[in-house]
Amino acid sequence: MENLSLAISQFSTFGVLVALVIGCLWGLLAGALPGMGTVAALIVALPFTFGMSTESSIALFLGIYVTSVYGGSISAILINTPGTPQSAATVLDGYPMARAGQADLAIGWATLASFIGGVFSLIVLIVAAPLLAAVSISFGPAAIFAIIVFALTCIAWVSEGSTIKGLLGASVGLWLTTIGPDDLTGLTRFDFGQQELRGGLSLIPVLIGLFALSEVFYRAAFYFTSKPSDVQNVGFKLPPWADIRIRAPQFLRSSIIGTFVGILPGTGATAATFVSYSEARRTSPRAENFGKGEPDGLIASEASNNAVTGGALIPTLALGIPGDGGTVVLLGVLTIQGLTPGYDLVNNNPHILTGAFLMLMVANIVMFALGAFSGRIFSRILGMPEPILMGLILMFSLVGAFVVRGNPVDVTVCVVAGVAGVILRFGRYPIAPIVIGMALGTTFETKLRQGMISARGDFVTFLQDPIALGILGLTALVVLVPTLKRRKAR
Amino acid sequence: MKLRTTLASVAALTLSTGAALAEYPERTINMVIPFSAGGGTDVPGRFFAAEMEKLLGQNIVATNVEGAGGTIGATQQADAPADGYNLLFAPVGTMTTQPHLRNTSYNVDSWTPICMVSEGPYYLVVGADSGIESVEDYKAITANGGPRFVGAGPGSMDHVAQLTLDSELGIEQQYLPTGGGADKATEIGGGRADASVWFADFDTRFNFNALAIMADERSDQHPDIPTMQELGYDVNVSIWFGLFAQDDAPAEAVETLSAACETAVSTDSFKENMAGANRLIRYMGTDEFGDFFRRTFELNGELMRKAGLVN
Repeated sequence: MENLSLAISQFSTFGVLVALVIGCLWGLLAGALPGMGTVAALIVALPFTFGMSTESSIALFLGIYVTSVYGGSISAILINTPGTPQSAATVLDGYPMARAGQADLAIGWATLASFIGGVFSLIVLIVAAPLLAAVSISFGPAAIFAIIVFALTCIAWVSEGSTIKGLLGASVGLWLTTIGPDDLTGLTRFDFGQQELRGGLSLIPVLIGLFALSEVFYRAAFYFTSKPSDVQNVGFKLPPWADIRIRAPQFLRSSIIGTFVGILPGTGATAATFVSYSEARRTSPRAENFGKGEPDGLIASEASNNAVTGGALIPTLALGIPGDGGTVVLLGVLTIQGLTPGYDLVNNNPHILTGAFLMLMVANIVMFALGAFSGRIFSRILGMPEPILMGLILMFSLVGAFVVRGNPVDVTVCVVAGVAGVILRFGRYPIAPIVIGMALGTTFETKLRQGMISARGDFVTFLQDPIALGILGLTALVVLVPTLKRRKAR
Repeated sequence: MKLRTTLASVAALTLSTGAALAEYPERTINMVIPFSAGGGTDVPGRFFAAEMEKLLGQNIVATNVEGAGGTIGATQQADAPADGYNLLFAPVGTMTTQPHLRNTSYNVDSWTPICMVSEGPYYLVVGADSGIESVEDYKAITANGGPRFVGAGPGSMDHVAQLTLDSELGIEQQYLPTGGGADKATEIGGGRADASVWFADFDTRFNFNALAIMADERSDQHPDIPTMQELGYDVNVSIWFGLFAQDDAPAEAVETLSAACETAVSTDSFKENMAGANRLIRYMGTDEFGDFFRRTFELNGELMRKAGLVN
């Protein structure tokens, strides 16, 4: 209680709240623009914290962190382009819903799901941080590898009707992550002697190319013949209570998955959304509507990616071990402010922790309000003549691709991915599997090899981790049961 | 893009005629930090850039160009125009071990070392409840086929520390490579590794115990922790960070930067920032640092050849 009053007195100043709101606005913008993404948005703000108080810096960063994850859903729904990799699964049901004239409702679902996911994970963070922190590090390389394998089953769901094409795409995605430096040997792979490729490919430029650029090219190709149906009713509309109530289990499941995957260091929000989407597709009573604009799909993606925020903060604050890319930067901000996250923070500065929780709560509320309000602004933007809108998307995409790492090769990669994306669309290949492969590839490979090195190359020893075995068993069931059922039915 | 390059080279030509250089620096300086924002190299780098900015009266833009042990950013700067406006703030690993391992386009002769800014000795650390109380305890581990040492990728300074420990302690540790950084803490905390090396914040951040410090003298921060020398082992490993320009950078720019660096590291604000972030300042001027850099480069190359990492 002492903590709480101290935290309130330190954090509820005008300056801190201004920092929080600015953080939320910037996060929303950076998330919604294809390219920037959570980490880049945080890095841009980093130099500003030098002259700021500890409280304001924390508020600014948590604001950006929470809303940037949410912001990606807006462009995913309205222009078929995930603003951040975390929103890649939001496209699957968000865009079809928008195309069906329910863009306002889709944004309503996404906002509500993000809010619930965020608040759920915050409550878990407050109640059980020390306990879950201990759980988080007990997941070794083998267990995390198993979770990634489960997330990969998402490929099957997003490529229904063309499983072979989906698997091909996923393989290409996995292969793309092997280009560049290999942390575990110190060698550089598949750079073909090109200096520019030595750093490897970054997911974001490929993502922007495959979704945003290919969308621009595709629309340009059909501009004079058959215009694609416009996205209608942009705005913000909360779904009716009855619809929300029947989906309560979905909100809960996705929030739990997001929080849990967030806790595990080195996994992150993108992996969480694929695990959650797979799980929703398997258990939802409305499974047959997935991919056609089913709210459950939107909830699965958006509740889980925002639930990662609270989850990832658990090892970051309690152990000094960042849970994902965004929290790495947050950890840096705390260090610059002269605070050591981890043991010292929990035991000697608990009011800072309490204050951070308060800021997270407010950030989630501000995010909800901004989401409700910004619907109108986005409807204005989307109301522009299509050539201008597409030109703007093209510009932001290329700038966004460059900004991520400041590496010029990313612009080339983005354009190549854009051309490839158009060709794939004409060939009726699903695009999502490539992104899934690429988003999960590095963790998939690193954890497998790390575990195998520990096990001195013995696969049996590697699999002696009971958590890993359990998850792999579950994955096998998920893959095999529908097949067996179909056999039986025949 | 082409136009810009042309303009840039025209500008560079004008500058290199000498007269214009008298006023160095006369525009924004670009300083690459070859690791991620908020990380171990980034934090002292940004503090340092802030001081240099005040002293030089020009903006210094710190850019993070990460990847491959810092070699991506270092390569970018090695190839950048040597006009005093493209600097690199990099740690020992990027500059003295990675070139041996990765066959980088830069090597020891590609740089003018301007100054050393910070140095932090490594501690040999173990989990708080691991039951390992001393270096002798650590040597005696037989479970899991011997001591398990977790670190960043092969060829990193962590690996250099492990190799040195192997030969000095006369043991054979299993080296578990990870992505580095906090990954090491995850593995030790989860009981999947026995030891690693970390900086002075091992206790406040992770609640780990240190068995020894790998430096000549005990640290004021942890006066109870013995040095490896005291225990009879010649293990000296520290991570230093320094400012570099290209080998053919204009002498005038190097002089100006060198002088500014000496002042920057002794300002109160820099000391305060570094102390707050639990980092140690260590200054070496251009001449001393130059020799030191070349010696370290050779030494680490030798160590890696002995370990069979390079031939």
